[in-house]
Amino acid sequence: MISLVRVDNRLIHGQVVEAWLPHLKVSRVVVADDEAASSPLIRAAMALAVQSAIEVQILPLSQVDFAALSKDGVRTLVLLRDVASVPFAYAHGLNLGELNLGNVHFGTGRRQVSPSVFLAEAELRTLQQLAEQGVRVEARAVPSEKPVELSDLSERWAKAG
Amino acid sequence: MVGLVVASHGRLAEELVSTAEQIVGKLPAVATCNIEPGTPVEDLRAKMKQAVSRVDAGDGVIILADLFGGTPCKESLMMCQRMNLEVLAGVNLPMLLKANSLRSEQLTLSEMANQLASYGQRNITCASALLREAQQQPRT
Repeated sequence: MISLVRVDNRLIHGQVVEAWLPHLKVSRVVVADDEAASSPLIRAAMALAVQSAIEVQILPLSQVDFAALSKDGVRTLVLLRDVASVPFAYAHGLNLGELNLGNVHFGTGRRQVSPSVFLAEAELRTLQQLAEQGVRVEARAVPSEKPVELSDLSERWAKAG
Repeated sequence: MVGLVVASHGRLAEELVSTAEQIVGKLPAVATCNIEPGTPVEDLRAKMKQAVSRVDAGDGVIILADLFGGTPCKESLMMCQRMNLEVLAGVNLPMLLKANSLRSEQLTLSEMANQLASYGQRNITCASALLREAQQQPRT
């Protein structure tokens, strides 16, 4: 069972460990990311940061069985590094009710839409397509923050141009 | 809700709180108190009293002081004779985050302070040695 899907460039870090895991009360964290999965050092360091009662899986994007994760009864947080990974996971069975944008760092061609989220035009379009398919998209770094909904993100993106 | 006061030398207290808030969001019922070089002890005493009364909603207050034996810690200890206060020394970031989250559990003030003291100690680890161990016996 997927409790939340979060896009976060930093994957597992302080905000996730200290704020989201206790808030969501998940028993499993799945990091779907090629770069993290390819490094034994990053895998060990990330797994170490999560308390041992919570299962941690760090796998390349294409090796994650998103459909199975969505079906079983284990409350799960899925972490993806970028917006571009979301449609892939969605097409591979990820049951995506809610998409949280956590940290999406600045880069060329990106516009700021929340204190911690910068979006490129293609990403905004991807998010809008997901919303049309019934996904609730929000930007929020930590659970106690007020979420910024996609309509506001789109508006801010247009204004930032 | 148990109130929290972070008391330190220099700007450590404010920076600890603002860093914690960057990680978990706004912390309710938290005050800071600091002593700069040359500040009279009386001023600190008044500031501490103010900070404590600002965050005390009747469930008591835990003061997280930076250094055992330092002025913020000593002044806190003076106050805990007369008020519903517990004083912890050696505050660190994990302790402050835990102190915030522990407040939602039904604990007495002294239980909470005790748990926090051992939690803070447990979170000082030789992380690189743990990493080496984890690489020998990977979890994933």
